[in-house]
Amino acid sequence: MMLLLRWSWRDLRAHWAKVLAIAVVIGIGTGGYAGLTSTAEWRRVSYDVSYRQLAMYDLRVDLATGSTAPESALAAVLADIASQEDVVAAEERLIFPTQVDASFGDETILVRGQVTGADFREGGPQVNAFHAFTGRALTAADAGEPVVMVERSFALFYGLPGTGELAISGDRELAYVGQVTTPEYFAVAPEGEMFMSEATYAAIFTTLETAQEVAGLPSRVNNLVLTITDTADRDAIQQELEAALARAGLGATVATRDDNLSYSALTTDVDQDQAMFNVLAFLLFAGAVGAAFNLIHRLAEQQRREIGIGMAIGVRPRVLAIRPLLVSVQIAVLGVIFGVVIGTLIGNAMAAVFQSIVPLPVWETPFQTGVFAGVAVVGLLVPFGASAIPVWRAVRVAPIAAIKPTHLVAKEAASPKARHATTNTFRAMPLRNLRRAPRRTVLTILGIAAAMTVLVGFLGIMDSVFDAVDVAEVEANGTRPDRIAVTLDGFYPIGSPAVQAIEDAASVAEVEPVLRVVASVDRGGDDIDVIVELADLDGGMWAPSVSAGALTDELGVLLSEKAAADLGVTVGDTVTFHHPRRTGLTSYAFVDSEIVVVALHPNPVRGFLYMDIGSSGLFGLEGLANGLNVLPTPGATTEAVQQELFDVDSAASVQSVTAVMEAVRNAFDQMLGIIQVMVVAILLLALLIAFNTAAINLDARARDHATMFAFGVKVRTALRIAMTESFAVGVIATAMGAAGGAALVWWMTQVLLPETLPDFQLHVVLKPSTAAAVLVMGIVATAAAPLFTYRRMRRMDVPGTLRLME
Amino acid sequence: MIIELKDVVKRYGEGPLAVTALDDVQLLVAAGEFVVVLGPSGSGKTTLLNLIGALDTATSGTVRVNGVDLVGASRAALFDFRGASVSFIFQSFNLFPGLTAQENVQFGVDAAGSAADSTDVLERVGLGDKLDRFPHELSGGEQQRVAIARALATDNPVLLCDEPTGELDFGTGVTILELLQGQATGSRAVLVVTHNREISRMADRVVELSSGRIVADGPPSGGKVPVTELHW
Repeated sequence: MMLLLRWSWRDLRAHWAKVLAIAVVIGIGTGGYAGLTSTAEWRRVSYDVSYRQLAMYDLRVDLATGSTAPESALAAVLADIASQEDVVAAEERLIFPTQVDASFGDETILVRGQVTGADFREGGPQVNAFHAFTGRALTAADAGEPVVMVERSFALFYGLPGTGELAISGDRELAYVGQVTTPEYFAVAPEGEMFMSEATYAAIFTTLETAQEVAGLPSRVNNLVLTITDTADRDAIQQELEAALARAGLGATVATRDDNLSYSALTTDVDQDQAMFNVLAFLLFAGAVGAAFNLIHRLAEQQRREIGIGMAIGVRPRVLAIRPLLVSVQIAVLGVIFGVVIGTLIGNAMAAVFQSIVPLPVWETPFQTGVFAGVAVVGLLVPFGASAIPVWRAVRVAPIAAIKPTHLVAKEAASPKARHATTNTFRAMPLRNLRRAPRRTVLTILGIAAAMTVLVGFLGIMDSVFDAVDVAEVEANGTRPDRIAVTLDGFYPIGSPAVQAIEDAASVAEVEPVLRVVASVDRGGDDIDVIVELADLDGGMWAPSVSAGALTDELGVLLSEKAAADLGVTVGDTVTFHHPRRTGLTSYAFVDSEIVVVALHPNPVRGFLYMDIGSSGLFGLEGLANGLNVLPTPGATTEAVQQELFDVDSAASVQSVTAVMEAVRNAFDQMLGIIQVMVVAILLLALLIAFNTAAINLDARARDHATMFAFGVKVRTALRIAMTESFAVGVIATAMGAAGGAALVWWMTQVLLPETLPDFQLHVVLKPSTAAAVLVMGIVATAAAPLFTYRRMRRMDVPGTLRLME
Repeated sequence: MIIELKDVVKRYGEGPLAVTALDDVQLLVAAGEFVVVLGPSGSGKTTLLNLIGALDTATSGTVRVNGVDLVGASRAALFDFRGASVSFIFQSFNLFPGLTAQENVQFGVDAAGSAADSTDVLERVGLGDKLDRFPHELSGGEQQRVAIARALATDNPVLLCDEPTGELDFGTGVTILELLQGQATGSRAVLVVTHNREISRMADRVVELSSGRIVADGPPSGGKVPVTELHW
């Protein structure tokens, strides 16, 4: 046994680079799998703990836009519901939109935002509490003081100092004492905005008293959030609240936490996100395991002759099997160690990306031992299986058959094509080498192809998303990319002083009134939330492009192609339009209208719905506007308009029409972090497979090379033959990987993401730059792998190698 | 002389572990000679072959083959020399398993850049009907004939054969030896290394090695006999 151990140790020293590289391949497969599949558990646990720690509301009451109630009026409604004992805590708040000027240094930051005034008395707020990342959270002592806290994702995006100053509409200067998060903003997804809108949206938090003072609404509130016991019937309480609010004469909506886009996007989509990661993880794992199996198999096969000699001198097969199996033990043990290390590295990298995307108060990202253990078992078994097969094949034949050097010579199928005499053997050799060992060739190709599939999948999904963003941007720009969207802080008569103040601004050349309201459409099934924009679609400043139907000033809606497809309607069909209708000066009710689809537009954002401003009567909003499309004067920038309108009280936000798309682009840019982590791992995997294949080929073909050198063939020629062979493998593997990757992108964009990201229409797109990068990485890296063997080839003991096999 | 070795010494290792494989070897071979280098295992005959074939370099002395001084030649020059001056025939044939018989011979043409026709060469060794066979589809004797054809296809003037009949049965071995003997004509010399004394009987000249030294050099002791009289 000691002899076998010593022998095995010498084997390890002789093949240490290959053993190490195969172990790293297994490590990438198992560790990558563990790292990728761990994220669901991390997110689930971290969200649960964070939402619990900061007491996310269960129910939220919002008064109708623009209306307020006296302090305590909303809380008093709770006394009028049957389930009042199920309410754990309730907080009244005052929330109002604003513009935020967070400019610092040389950077101008002017974005839309919202001020939330909460009750900090008695250690509050008890619902939707705050976690400070920098500076401090507010306390009761700050009541009425001009101090606020700024939302963490926005601050991170712009790299704001930990504490500082900002201004809000009305030129109110406020000091921010800390960067914080609160459950509604774990992901920034304000109403009417896209998910992860931190680039274009600033949430400001302050005391209720300060908010009331800034808004000029002393002792008024417009929002109530409450938590209920775990056993309470939330839906029942929601209904009781709606009834109680109606009895109290308060026009309000009651929403659950599930209605909060930020909450639902983060929590309910975890499993769907994970489905994508699982597929990628499985492919990565399968590719690594397949490649490791092939490489170990070939390593063990090289011992076949020695097994034959052992059999010839009477050593029992089970003893002979020990030595190759010891190599497997070395690879398996190292593979598990590398798996833990690589899994931890990938896990840490992904955890860091998640932490930067979603700044939770608590992120729990422990190494998922259970997940890893499952794949580690496979990682342990693969080396044994890969060794056992050649050993078994060697011991079941006569010793002389095992000893014959021809054991390394796979028999080529007698293909007539292969027998055509060639004019240049150097050119023929690479393909002949591949053909004579089809099983090895196929396994090598499959290993690299799996890695390339995952790579194309990762890059392709980003291409598809950014292509959709580009299309949306082009759509938003239309013929006037300098168009600026101004949101008013309420509904104003067209021609009113509030609108006139904007029209009169020096940097504004032209304005066009628009109405923007939130609504939904359905056709008997699930409804789709939409942002309705009513503008002059016939000859106005801007109109969406039309892919079907035609723009008309008749009553009708212009739906996105995606919404039409999801609803199963087309031009001329009727949909049920659930929209607000003004019932009083500041009161609104949601009503259903049957309305014709007059046209479709190609914007990939499903929720954009357009109507002609002439249809404003449907909403009871004739002659009113809550937004303006603005064109700047020649030479005036968006920033100049923003700065000038910042002092106009009625302008709640001023942003370029592409700002929303910039926010989307930013959101996906952050996701690139995960992609980059995986791309590095995948490239390393492909390179290791190619390197190991080249190194083992060098061993297996040592005699061929020695014979070539004996005939005066130069090392560079032999290397060129090896590289041509690898090039062919790289071409086939990359082509298969590209095809597999395209299929993967199709599955993700057409099957998986429509579930996870239903509001966005994605097409399968692989940009030429991506295709070129994949080709370069797949083919060049694979073809170049034999270069690593140049040194060994050059130092080959030619006479020794020639006699070695005799 | 096509092969000239003068005062050649070859040592492996250094210090007390040093082994002298060849010691003070003097050898001259003329074109057209069929020389058998005879000796037991470890006598240095393969080392001698490797030095002549530029697969190894002498520790001291002069090795000149086909007019090229191999001691002190650059690595690139040695590659060029092998491509243009010598051809090897190995005990275990060393054919390329992925190439057909004809392609293996064509390899010799490509490696040396010769003008030989691989089909013609294979026909000369009696394998004109097996051009498209892969090595594993040929018998041992046929494989060795392909190896000989590959060496001949180079048109190089020195043919170096290392135990060319070592893996062949007697009958096939005799055929191969006859074939090799037939190549030692005109400008080409053939050097056969073997431990089989019987083979030396058919040589023009026998160089006998023992412990790295040439202990005999001359015609076969009983006179040269036709290959048909060999027995082993």
